Amino acid sequence: MKDTQRSKFAITPWMIWLGLMGIILLSGLVAGIMVFWKGLGITNLTDMVPWGLWITIDLSSIALGAGAFSMCAAVYLFGLKRYGPIARTATFIGLIGYTMATLALILDIGRPERFWHSLVYWNPHSLLWEVTMCVVLYLTVLVFESMPIFANWEWLRKHMPKVASLMSHTHHYAPILAIIGLGLSSLHQSSLGATYGVIKARPFWFKPEMAVLFMFSAIVGGIALTLFATMLASRLTRKAKINDNLIERVALFVGYLLIGYFYLRIWDVLAQTYVYYPGRTEGLQYLTKGPFAFNFWVMEIFLGMLVPMILLLYKPTRTNRFWRMIALLLVAIGVIVFRWDANITGQLVVMPYVPGLPITYTSYSPSLIELLAGAAIIAYGLTAFTLGVKYFRVVDHTLVEEEHEKVHVNSTEPVSI
Amino acid sequence: MTSQNVNRREFLKLTAIGVAVAAGTKAVSSKASSEAPKGKRQWAMVIDQSKCTGCEYCTRACQAHNDINPDIEWNTVTENGTVGNNQVFVPRPCMHCEKAPCVEVCPVKASYYRDDGIVMMDYDRCIGCRYCQIACPYGARTFNWEKFTGENPAVPEWGMPEVERRPRGVPEKCSFCYQRIDRGLAQGLTPGVDSEATPACVNICPTGARMFGDLNNPDSNVSLALHNNPTYSLREDLGTGPRVYYIPAVGVEES
Repeated sequence: MKDTQRSKFAITPWMIWLGLMGIILLSGLVAGIMVFWKGLGITNLTDMVPWGLWITIDLSSIALGAGAFSMCAAVYLFGLKRYGPIARTATFIGLIGYTMATLALILDIGRPERFWHSLVYWNPHSLLWEVTMCVVLYLTVLVFESMPIFANWEWLRKHMPKVASLMSHTHHYAPILAIIGLGLSSLHQSSLGATYGVIKARPFWFKPEMAVLFMFSAIVGGIALTLFATMLASRLTRKAKINDNLIERVALFVGYLLIGYFYLRIWDVLAQTYVYYPGRTEGLQYLTKGPFAFNFWVMEIFLGMLVPMILLLYKPTRTNRFWRMIALLLVAIGVIVFRWDANITGQLVVMPYVPGLPITYTSYSPSLIELLAGAAIIAYGLTAFTLGVKYFRVVDHTLVEEEHEKVHVNSTEPVSI
Repeated sequence: MTSQNVNRREFLKLTAIGVAVAAGTKAVSSKASSEAPKGKRQWAMVIDQSKCTGCEYCTRACQAHNDINPDIEWNTVTENGTVGNNQVFVPRPCMHCEKAPCVEVCPVKASYYRDDGIVMMDYDRCIGCRYCQIACPYGARTFNWEKFTGENPAVPEWGMPEVERRPRGVPEKCSFCYQRIDRGLAQGLTPGVDSEATPACVNICPTGARMFGDLNNPDSNVSLALHNNPTYSLREDLGTGPRVYYIPAVGVEES
């Protein structure tokens, strides 16, 4: 309270932050309206590369939202109760990630007003159908899982205590929600990879590992982002109260996961180098020796896996908050770069359908409109998270334990602080 | 030694079972290779590359009859080397695959099989996700990045529009001129024989390089052409089962 009164007359970092996000959101809003008005012709997407930056944002936000199902499964199914506070943060980030993905998709489809067709006209044979259904259902699960978080809003508690109490009450169903969430997430996180993995026309994608890699990298990246966001919040505001010991333990787990991720990714690449396979070999060369070599070797492998692996497994660096944060951020960035590389490389290598013609390459770089709208989607995510930290106590490792008990003992009474 | 014998017998038994299962799977998979309900007629196209001169009349007639944006070609002609002194071309309509990747991946069933084998698009149902474009090995689909407004430069020189223009935000592709087939059949005409019931690209071809007809009719010109000539399809290795067949061009010395 004191803080807000003082800030009435002074420019606080919070206001600067909101102002900056507001500008990005506003320019993105204009870009979005332009897209709906003028159509996708104002993007740099082509018939050769119909899936570009927005799909990458969509894939990445779903991947980085995977901390929610991973942590909820750990806490409510595997009994690692003490990590509950981190699961809370992960759930909120998941909710943000999935709404970001929905925004990106609405922008990206040619007929946004028909988005509901995917729920009404079913083609169960299509992976994209399965992904859509799972994402919609899982988003619903996330809304329920986030209810206790929104119940922490002070205004709500003051003015509608009964509603707040009811929302807190959904916490009782957390284990059931965690099971449903685990099932739905396992399905669509893998299926997003399989969306690419089943496309026989594009040999660079056509392999079963796509599903495995997407699933595994999502779990690694999702947890890493959750931890990073938690630590960053605790550095920036006193509203975020953390138990650093918890974060450090989970960070160690991320370190171990990275070994698995590294193993899978390296074998995925190595196995493909053995013989010449038209289209696949070209894609691989594009990625490992061509224009994407920096992305692959530096961003994905070195900075995205090896460096954070060492930083998180080596105790002195893991217990050092700065290095731990750096490591976690690198993991999340590495996963985003993997999504970008996987999506784009498969399209840039153009397979001929005419016998004897050579394999050709096309190019893609996002237009200003795509960048502005994409930045706004990310800005929405950042704004939502900071609002969550400020008003919903999203990052508060002291709160949850007591609330747990309150809800358990007196679930029908208004919860007050 | 007995254990070895048993192992051998077991092995043979397993092999037999394995073969039986494999045969069974093949029978099932060949049946299930198309989700299309097989109708009485199965349309197909045969393109004789030794006759094709690359004039692109087919492309123009297609653009007129289907009212296509001049930036888009449902039927595109590509050069493909020479045989003897002659340039060889590959005209490419939609392959109307028996197991079409575009149909399999469409999340809303906007792409579907007709029971006569034509792969159709429901432009009113499509959400414009472009997964079909990603999946098609033939690049047969083009997205309407912009709305096609104004005059069609191919009209009236190459024909008159017979179908509605597609809206912005959906991909479009060749339909084997289904509108001509359906209307022709209703009038008692035979597609592939009567020009009124035959795809525009087949009618316009000045060298008669294209044939169209019913695969289920052994006397149709496509059945006869397939019977009497060596033919191939594009990207047969993918197992899509295209219904467009090509008679390869052969040099003078070879023929």
